Order: sequence, then C-alpha cells, then structure tokens
Amino acid sequence: MTKCPACLAPIHDVDHLDLAKHLMQRADGSDIPHVRWLNQNISRHKIEPPEVARRVAELFDLHGGSVSGWIRSRFIAQFLGKTPHPFVVALQHPTRAVLLGYTIEHQHFLRQWVRSCAYITAQTDQSEVIRYELDNLNTEFGGMGPGGVAHYELLLRMGESLGYPRDRVLSTPPLPATRSAIDEWNRIARDGHWLDTMAAMHSLELIAHRGLVDEGASLHYFDPSILTSEEISGPAKAFLREGYEADVGHSERGLELVNRYAVSLDRVRDVQATTLRSFDLFDDYLLARLERADRIDAAE
Amino acid sequence: MPPSEGCALCGSTWGNVWAEADGKRRFFCCDLCVVQYQNLVTRIKEATGWTRIGALEITGDRRGRVCRASQPGEVRGFLVAFGTEGTLRVFRELPSSS
Repeated sequence: MTKCPACLAPIHDVDHLDLAKHLMQRADGSDIPHVRWLNQNISRHKIEPPEVARRVAELFDLHGGSVSGWIRSRFIAQFLGKTPHPFVVALQHPTRAVLLGYTIEHQHFLRQWVRSCAYITAQTDQSEVIRYELDNLNTEFGGMGPGGVAHYELLLRMGESLGYPRDRVLSTPPLPATRSAIDEWNRIARDGHWLDTMAAMHSLELIAHRGLVDEGASLHYFDPSILTSEEISGPAKAFLREGYEADVGHSERGLELVNRYAVSLDRVRDVQATTLRSFDLFDDYLLARLERADRIDAAE
Repeated sequence: MPPSEGCALCGSTWGNVWAEADGKRRFFCCDLCVVQYQNLVTRIKEATGWTRIGALEITGDRRGRVCRASQPGEVRGFLVAFGTEGTLRVFRELPSSS
C-alpha cells in the first residue's frame, strides 16, 4: 500500500504502475491536483503508464540517502531553487503589505499548526515525539515561561507595528487558498498516521532553515541584512529573527524523528507522498500571503 | 485528443478540457488554466486596445510566464504570473526588443 501524492488516496502499488495509472486516470478527468502533480513532477507531455511509473520510481528513490535528505532536496527544488517561490522573493526586502499579508494569513496557519501537533501527541505512543511536540507547541503558541514570547504573539505584534490592531488581524477570515490548505492539513492530521503528519508539518519549517543555502538553495527565506537595517519595524525583526533562529533546530530535530520512524515503522513511501502533498498546499498558502498583500496595496 | 501544442496556457497535454476563449475553441489541461487564459486575454486586450489577439505565444512556468501577443504589424510582450484562483497577480509589459 502507498498513497497518491496528489490526493493521498490509498493505492495498492508494488511497482509504481498502479500509482501511475491512478494519476493518469484522474488527470484524464482534468482533476487539478493530479494534472498539476504530473506537470510539476513527471512531464508536461502525456506519456505511457510504464514511463510514468519509471519516473515516479526515480522521484521517490532515496538513492541510498536518508528520508530527511530526500525531503530537504525536494523542498529546495520546489521553494528555494532556480525559480524560488515568489513569496520568498518578496520577503527578501519586504514591503509593509507583504509583512501584513504574512501576518493575516499566517495567524490562521499557526492555529492549524497547533491542532496538527496536538493530533500527533494524541496519536503517537513515542515519548520523545510527545516531548518534541510539546516543546514545539510552547515555542509556537504557548510561550516559553516568564518573559518568553510565543511565535504567535510575535506575529501579532508585527501586525500591530504595521498599523493593524490584533483584533483586526484576528477577525479577518483566511483567503480561500489558505482555508483550503488548512482544511487539508487538518484532514491529514485527523485521519492520517501521526508520522505522516509530522512529515507534512515539520518539513515546512525548512523554509526558514538558513543552512539550506549550503545544500543548493538559491537564497535564504529573507535577506539576513533586514534584521540589522532599518527597513522593517522592530517587532517585524523580532518575529523573523525568532523563526530564523528556532526553525533550524526545530526542523532538524523533527526531520530526524521522521527519518528514524519512517524506517522503523516501514512508512517511507507514505511519508514521501504526504510530504509532497503538503508542499503543494504550502505553495498555494505562500501565494495567498502575496494575494493578501496585493489586496492591501490595492485598498490603500 | 489534445493538439500537439497542448494546453493553450501551459502547454501540458494531460487533462481534457475544451473551452472557447477569444472566439476559438481551445484545449486546456484543467479548468484553472481556462480561467487563467481568459483573464490573460482580457488583460492583454485592455492593455493593447485590440479587439482580437492574432496569436498568443506563452512560455515559462507557474512562477512566471512570458507572453508574446501579436497582430499584423505589431507584437507586444508581457510578463505575467497568476494567483491561486487564476487571477493575474503580475502583468507587466516588456520592452519591445525583448
């Protein structure tokens, strides 16, 4: 058994041919996630099932490396490669609208983050995973003891520093792409295996991993010089700096756990498929931050 | 069967959507590409003042596409990128030499 990386449907597949046929059958019906997946990962030109299966096998092949290494290289290719995601390009030296787009959409994302991590702690029987997720929840949402400020609070302060009171941020509904991505991340966490949820969520922390430039990323999440210059507000610097410093450790540890349990629980293919689906959701969600920024620009 | 040039927007030969756009029945890989193409044609007509586009060549990928729209005696180039629902996020005219 494996999962379809475009819809996460379970597939009885031993040699990638069943998955190839499923992808092609859904693409024949012009289903957007399947067409998109084939276009992005296999070919823009229709090919025969055995060739699709061969390319799927090549894509999923770890080439003797680790699952976490495979996740990192796929992440770089999709978000930080030769043509980086446009949100990352915009965040190099962000405008006020880009930071506000980030604030408004991301508060919805962070609330889902908490739900997803809570599902992991509820479903796993591994103490080290529970401890890791509790630490993560504290950093992102709870705050780490007296004086420790949660990432969520830093986000709201960034919004306030840009002229958006927190009640305005909190009362703004997500854009459709954010809503849709959040709903699917919630389904993954609610209905899926805790390890797949870990891979889906913690792989996304790679976005702010400053070590990826040494592994082939074409740029950082943002130009580090904005943390020391005067081009963004102090609270915006505090928010971005927190992610810049925390996400290296978070994603390293999270992916190390994913790597180990994917092998011991024999879930490598499921982890890979879920990760690729999560990347497509994240791609759309990052674009929603820019769409929000566009709306703010148009309204002002 | 898709035409050899594939989807009018992205060139893909997966999918099977036929829809009328700019007065002609065209092949698209999915409904999102239909919306993107229709929005693109509308915007190009607004920018050029043309009532019809003679030919529209599109290259690039979802991160950004270069469009060359032509009418007899005139070629105009645009850099475009779309949002999640097919709206145009970026629409910039390119210098005539590019």
